[in-house]
Amino acid sequence: LKNAELWGALGWLAFSVFVVFAGRHHGIGAVNDPGSGFLLFWLGLLMCGFSAALVAAALRGGGPTLASLWAGTRWGKVIVIIASLCAFAALLNTLGFLLASIPLLLVLLRGIDPVRWPVALPVGIGAPLAVWWLLKKLLLIQLPAGVLGFG
Amino acid sequence: VDILGSVMQGLGVALLPMNLLYCFIGVFIGTLVGVLPGIGPVTAMSLLLPVTLSGTPEAGIIMMAGIYYGSMYGGSTTSILVNIPGEATSVVTCLDGHQMALQGRAGPALGMAAMASFIAGTIAVVGLMLVAPALARFAVAFGPAEYFSLMVLGLVILTFLTQGSMLKSLLMACVGTVIGLIGLDSINAQARLTFGRMELYDGIGLIPVVMGLFGVAEVLSNIERPVMRSIVSQKIRNLLPTRADWKASAGPIGRGTVLGFFLGIIPGGGAVIASFASYALEKRVSKTPERFGKGAIEGVAGPEAANNSAAGGAFIPLLTLGIPPNVVMALLLGAFIIHGLQPGPLLMTQNPGLFWGVIASMYIGNAMLLVLNLPLIGIWVQLLRLPYNVLFPLILLFSIVGVYASGNNVFDVGVMMAFGVLGYLMRKVGYEAAPLVLAFVLGPMLENNLRKALILSQGQLTTFVERPISAACLALAAALLLAPVIPALRRRRERVAAAQQL
Repeated sequence: LKNAELWGALGWLAFSVFVVFAGRHHGIGAVNDPGSGFLLFWLGLLMCGFSAALVAAALRGGGPTLASLWAGTRWGKVIVIIASLCAFAALLNTLGFLLASIPLLLVLLRGIDPVRWPVALPVGIGAPLAVWWLLKKLLLIQLPAGVLGFG
Repeated sequence: VDILGSVMQGLGVALLPMNLLYCFIGVFIGTLVGVLPGIGPVTAMSLLLPVTLSGTPEAGIIMMAGIYYGSMYGGSTTSILVNIPGEATSVVTCLDGHQMALQGRAGPALGMAAMASFIAGTIAVVGLMLVAPALARFAVAFGPAEYFSLMVLGLVILTFLTQGSMLKSLLMACVGTVIGLIGLDSINAQARLTFGRMELYDGIGLIPVVMGLFGVAEVLSNIERPVMRSIVSQKIRNLLPTRADWKASAGPIGRGTVLGFFLGIIPGGGAVIASFASYALEKRVSKTPERFGKGAIEGVAGPEAANNSAAGGAFIPLLTLGIPPNVVMALLLGAFIIHGLQPGPLLMTQNPGLFWGVIASMYIGNAMLLVLNLPLIGIWVQLLRLPYNVLFPLILLFSIVGVYASGNNVFDVGVMMAFGVLGYLMRKVGYEAAPLVLAFVLGPMLENNLRKALILSQGQLTTFVERPISAACLALAAALLLAPVIPALRRRRERVAAAQQL
């Protein structure tokens, strides 16, 4: 039950079953007048077949355990990056581009493989400012301004 | 005479100052992302897709094309000097290129990589010029059945050629198609898989998907297991290869060019496969195969010619059939659509200036690349010293900005992150992202053509086998699907996959 291949295949099997039902829900239609769910339904069935074959292969041949996939890796740093990006996405509209991206860059520069402050500060502040100027002022592309009205 | 006139028209477009500037920006950025490991043409093109809106369609597409073939040049620099491929297409260049560098021959290796790229790239443009019009005329007769079968063949070829399990790749192609179908049905405008979210009515954008699966996932994988880089530190001199180098490389360049061009045309093929195939071919035809992997210049010249030639060949299915053969071309298709253009058999007659302008710009771009990659090699070497812990936050920042600018909403940033995590997990358990992305792009077209073909034939499934081109495509697809069942072919495919992973 710790087999990563098995869990991966089971996940896809569940998704495939969902696609089959979604296809039915949207209407399969007939061969001479296929409905919106026609391709979804048949793709779902095909995916069920592929996923089932992968489940069978995992049960027969085994595979790496879930723990072994992350053994010896710096998974904590991966989680820090994902969490930082989630926080950034949640705060982008409220804080605006500049106030959200400068802390994000500083966290990434200092929190993963720490970069010295004399490098981290100019990069962390300068890069978002440069991107903001290039996009907003030069290319006239809208960036979220936030509640404070700048950025 | 007809083609010559068209080329002159194309040169007239490509030589406009604005188009020259965009061409230069494209090849410069292409070389830059080629040199930098961890950021590739897919990421760069996704980032710059919204930027193309600010110029003319010609300028935007010339720039995007420049990024693609420019990255083929830049990738070899990192392979030779650092033994880390800047691009997947340059993986095989590491084998002999870095050995040459360790033996004090970094200059000739870099020089030959640039020259082979230039020669092959230029010949491929000539091939593109000759083949594309003929194929476009032929493709006018294609109906929905042919397009459907051709797309199925493209997806099957891609799943056949990807590393690892073909079953997983097929599953990914199906998943990509399903994701591509999210949004309003193009025939009766029914909302599908939108869960009531207005943002999903237009479907999921290509840029968040690609940036997530390739940009964010790549960063997460690189952070998880940091790769130590050792840059060849000696001064690089004698960039021009010697007469003996040329003698040894002429055959590999010629063979690599032809092989790469045809592998580039095939939907699902492409520059990565071409470079590996060329290396294998050169090793096989060589009288001294034992030199390969120990600094044989043929092992640099052949693959570098092949990947650049394949980059040129890959434009043919997109420009003539409107079918992108790989992920990069799918992004280029996105650039066409953003500008209200539909690549396909009618592009050449309806927009001859654009069609021939893009092709002509490739001649100019190749010449620019030669200058960028030989006299200015020192700049790129300096760039390699940029540490990854400074680079990756910038990659993430540019990814976020690119995704946000493409749709002007935070929802797309969330989609990118979701696909980033999905891509990271997929890499962990050996699921490839390329079939998913190509199927995601082809999905709506595939469905549209399938349903049209069935409606036109009044539900006769035999329509797909009664039409010769459609039947041939489906027969080939079926043969490829059955190939892994044959033990000898399965073993051969597994050997190629293992070689690619090394």
